Amino acid sequence: MMPDFHQEGKAETTEWQPEQQAPVILLENVSKTYGKIHALSGITLALSGGVTGILGLNGAGKSTLFKILMGKLKPSSGQVRLFGTNPWKNPAPYSRVGFVPEGEKMYDWMTAHDFISTFARLNGLTRDEAKLEADRVLDFVGLLDVAHKQIGRFSKGMRQRTKIAHALVNNPDLIILDEPLQGCDPLARTTIMNVIRELGRMGRTVIVSSHILTEIERITEQIVILHHGRLLALGNLHAIREKMDNIPHRIDIGCESPKGLAKSVIDIDSVHGIIFQHPEKLTVQTRNLGDFHSNLPKTIIDSGQKVNSIDNPDDDLASILGYLTGGGGY
Amino acid sequence: MADKTNTIFRALDRKASAITEFTMRQYRTKISTWVVLITGLVVISLLMLFYVDAMQRDFEAIDNDGDSVDSDGDLYPDGQERALGTSPFNELDHPGNFVPPIPPDDPEKWINEDDFDWDESPTGTRSVSVGYDDDGDCRAEDRTQSQKDTNDNGIECDIELSLSLTGNFRYDADNYVDEDPDDEAYAKEALHRASILGIGKLGFVFIISIFIPLFMATGLIRDEMTSGTMHYILTKPIARTEVFFYRIIGYLGIIWPYLIILTLISAIVTGFAGPGDSLFRFSEFGIWLAILFAAMMATLVYGMLFCFLGVMWRYGIILAIPFAAWELGMALLSMGVPESPILRFSVIGWALIIVDSASMIVWPDMALLINSGFSVEGGDSFGFEREELIGSEPLQYFFATPGLGDMSPFLSMIIATVVLLIQATALLFLGGAIFKGKEIE
Amino acid sequence: MSDQEVDLESSTDDLSYSENAPVTGQGRMDAAWGSRDGDESATAQVSSNNASVGYVFEQIYKPWNGTLNPRWMRNWAILRHHVLGIFRKGHRPWGLPTKLFIVLVFIASLADVGLTLLSALIGSPELHTMWGVNRDNLYGHVLGFFPRNMLYYPILAALLVGGIISEDRYHGTSALYFSRPISRFDYVGMKYISVAMIQAFVVLLTLMIYYFVEIIAMGRGWAWIIDTFPLFLAAFIGGILLIITYTSIGLGLSSVSKGKFFPGIGLVAIVLGSKTLAVLVSNLFERDIMYLLSPYDCLAHVGQALVGTQTTYDQYSWTWSFASLVLMNAFFLYILSSRVASMEVTRE
Repeated sequence: MMPDFHQEGKAETTEWQPEQQAPVILLENVSKTYGKIHALSGITLALSGGVTGILGLNGAGKSTLFKILMGKLKPSSGQVRLFGTNPWKNPAPYSRVGFVPEGEKMYDWMTAHDFISTFARLNGLTRDEAKLEADRVLDFVGLLDVAHKQIGRFSKGMRQRTKIAHALVNNPDLIILDEPLQGCDPLARTTIMNVIRELGRMGRTVIVSSHILTEIERITEQIVILHHGRLLALGNLHAIREKMDNIPHRIDIGCESPKGLAKSVIDIDSVHGIIFQHPEKLTVQTRNLGDFHSNLPKTIIDSGQKVNSIDNPDDDLASILGYLTGGGGY
Repeated sequence: MADKTNTIFRALDRKASAITEFTMRQYRTKISTWVVLITGLVVISLLMLFYVDAMQRDFEAIDNDGDSVDSDGDLYPDGQERALGTSPFNELDHPGNFVPPIPPDDPEKWINEDDFDWDESPTGTRSVSVGYDDDGDCRAEDRTQSQKDTNDNGIECDIELSLSLTGNFRYDADNYVDEDPDDEAYAKEALHRASILGIGKLGFVFIISIFIPLFMATGLIRDEMTSGTMHYILTKPIARTEVFFYRIIGYLGIIWPYLIILTLISAIVTGFAGPGDSLFRFSEFGIWLAILFAAMMATLVYGMLFCFLGVMWRYGIILAIPFAAWELGMALLSMGVPESPILRFSVIGWALIIVDSASMIVWPDMALLINSGFSVEGGDSFGFEREELIGSEPLQYFFATPGLGDMSPFLSMIIATVVLLIQATALLFLGGAIFKGKEIE
Repeated sequence: MSDQEVDLESSTDDLSYSENAPVTGQGRMDAAWGSRDGDESATAQVSSNNASVGYVFEQIYKPWNGTLNPRWMRNWAILRHHVLGIFRKGHRPWGLPTKLFIVLVFIASLADVGLTLLSALIGSPELHTMWGVNRDNLYGHVLGFFPRNMLYYPILAALLVGGIISEDRYHGTSALYFSRPISRFDYVGMKYISVAMIQAFVVLLTLMIYYFVEIIAMGRGWAWIIDTFPLFLAAFIGGILLIITYTSIGLGLSSVSKGKFFPGIGLVAIVLGSKTLAVLVSNLFERDIMYLLSPYDCLAHVGQALVGTQTTYDQYSWTWSFASLVLMNAFFLYILSSRVASMEVTRE
């Protein structure tokens, strides 16, 4: 409760030092309930380094998770640690965190430069230092030429980039972006993705949430999948895919005579089903993708059929989420 | 950062000034701020217009003792006849018969001819003798000793002024002493003081100091919480109590200079337009300073309170509006019954003590002034035509002795200030604590 | 991939709606943009193929051929939505504190009813002259300052108008109305009437209860009713004026602001602030002119003239107060209408 006489952004405990061994983010059995609604239940998660995508449908609990991480919400049960410190009790670790909240509300009357430098001072920078920093981060996100324009006149993509820039101003070790790509046009999307990838390369811990899966796929392979407040899967995209061997995979083979090809393909041991959906396409179901792929080329050559394309529609995040949540697939 | 020493100025250039500055700039961009501030200015200007109008008004001089009348129709006013020893009721007996004959006076001369000459007020139960018979109708030579000393205090042609046990003045005047005061001078002086007190208390400390915080402070933190922009502030290494405090400072950064300007305008207007021989009534800067100080303290406490209510509950305004109505009641109560204990449970009760104490210091003769306007009630010796002099009623309404019992005004001012500061600090910590435990969506 | 090509020509055929198609709102949306004008004669608008730059694809708009409910029925839906929100879920959510306050004020307004009943029970004529129905009490029920017009009615109005338009603007939900065949003035008008109805529920309904309880409890006959009914009617009209004035001011303020706080505080500040100011001026300078700026005092003056009680404003005629009331209402209604007419249907 005591005022911070140093004003250097160390908040209450001026002696705050991050615990060296602690992971950047640590959640232990965290739950959050609103009355009877379980927004999050039993999340256990530790993250350090790299870019991580948090995936989930709307209402899966992504934003709740972030707000708990940022000390905005108090978990109903469980432990949250940010650099080894409980963020609900102590805002000190925020000096090493940058947070990009969702939602479009911003201070429209400020210029981008004003906005960033003002909020940089909350990190304990002086006015002059904050102005230099603001220039640096605006340059980083490519907004230096519009730095002195009002945020109210920015497009959605520019606003998102401004928000990202504002989060980077204190050189954070951990950057959390809540739906940074929402509502952006493709060009802005690409720019923002590049920025995020760049941050990852710089060795920061970056956490990005999205419900659009191809976006995340282009940024990272390390994902966390949330569904109805539960941690559904965690790890490398492909590793997760491999684990789901009991679920049939689907391969589309475009060819001139699907029925002819089917006769040969059915002989592969790992194939357990064949579907004809389209006059020029053969859909094969398999439970062992590796075995199937190793046998497929030989089979095609042996059959003498002309194959136009081999497509693996299941190997994207949409279908994985579908499988995991039981809502997709077939 | 490390290469320069962290002086207090460099320290304050960081978080505190950032939020304060930000808050002030945010206010500047809102139209509602301007609407509210300009409305406040219009209200005070209106009151000043009424005040100037009252000061320019000609108050009809009233012949309170009726001696400008020519009862017997011999063209000589009764006062003149009485002073010169002729009978006011005999038209054949008048100073025109004197050698050489004395021409009749203009009746105007016998209006307002015996003004107050009170310069002392009694202390304790000791009574003092005040007053001087300016027109000489008491000291007339043909009057007997007992006629000159109708109040039997052994002093001829005086007024015996004493304090009763209940703290009210009691008069016992000899006949024909100070019986025809200058109505206009009295009315202007009394109205001038009543205006300063009324405008200061109800205008500044109530209307301005409660409605502007209602508009400006209720959403100070709540608006940010509902719009989601609070995330930008709270994801920084800054304690929420600090945010609360710096936001309040930013709010004060707008409202205090505004109050200073308003007070300055009012002080200048009342200083120049006020009655009296001097061009400017410098001595009254003290009372305006006290009004300003009381208004500043009130806006501080109200700001903290409304901001706290806004943080506590999305519908904090529902608690704030009845509270404003309660404070209006308390403001009116403090004018009538300043010592009422229920006033201790309000903010405005304490803030008005500051103004009341200052008025005691700046105008030590206040009680006397009020009471001389009502002195007709002390006995029939004055025989005013009106029940009281113009201006005495509003002055009595708006003036109140500080309600903290028998202590020096200075001390009660300090106590009131301390109490207000304690209220503000308590609300700051309460607000900070509530804010700290608040989940932000 | 070739197999993913979409057959453009065949897909246009799917645009027609079958009779059994689920109601998706699409059809209504089509009709909505017309609002009042053009509902009756919906014709298909087809774009021209000529454009100075580029090529304009042929667009086919399907006119909506359904029958639109009459205007009053649409408006009734809005009104119902707002008023029923006080009692039930599933309509406009009013917020618990507002509902609670309505109940509290309703009960508090019934204080004189309780006292009338009490005096009837005791059978004491002295108490009854104090509390029962008479000229002064009928006036006081609606227009008395303390506590009714200090603590009850303006605050009730403030809570009701608080977010009635501004919240729609803030959340962008006004688009939900304006994307339907509803004109802006119908929208505002219904909001106005619904706020006024809820206030009438408190102010006028309690007045009626007061009057009827007197008749029943004291066993009043026709002679008494004929005698006092004009008084009751006058108080009733005074109440209507009160409701109209508070609602106009409140809705005017609500239309100019974005937040929920501003209109509420604004209304209370106007009512109580101008009253305090007028009292101050009248006490200090013996000038009653400022009462003309105070909505409450104008209402009270007109009400006193209507009911015929002793008027407390004796420096000018009640017609001045009435004119001032008309001006205030006109001013705030003008603000309201001009703001609503130019309101942008976006989330602000």
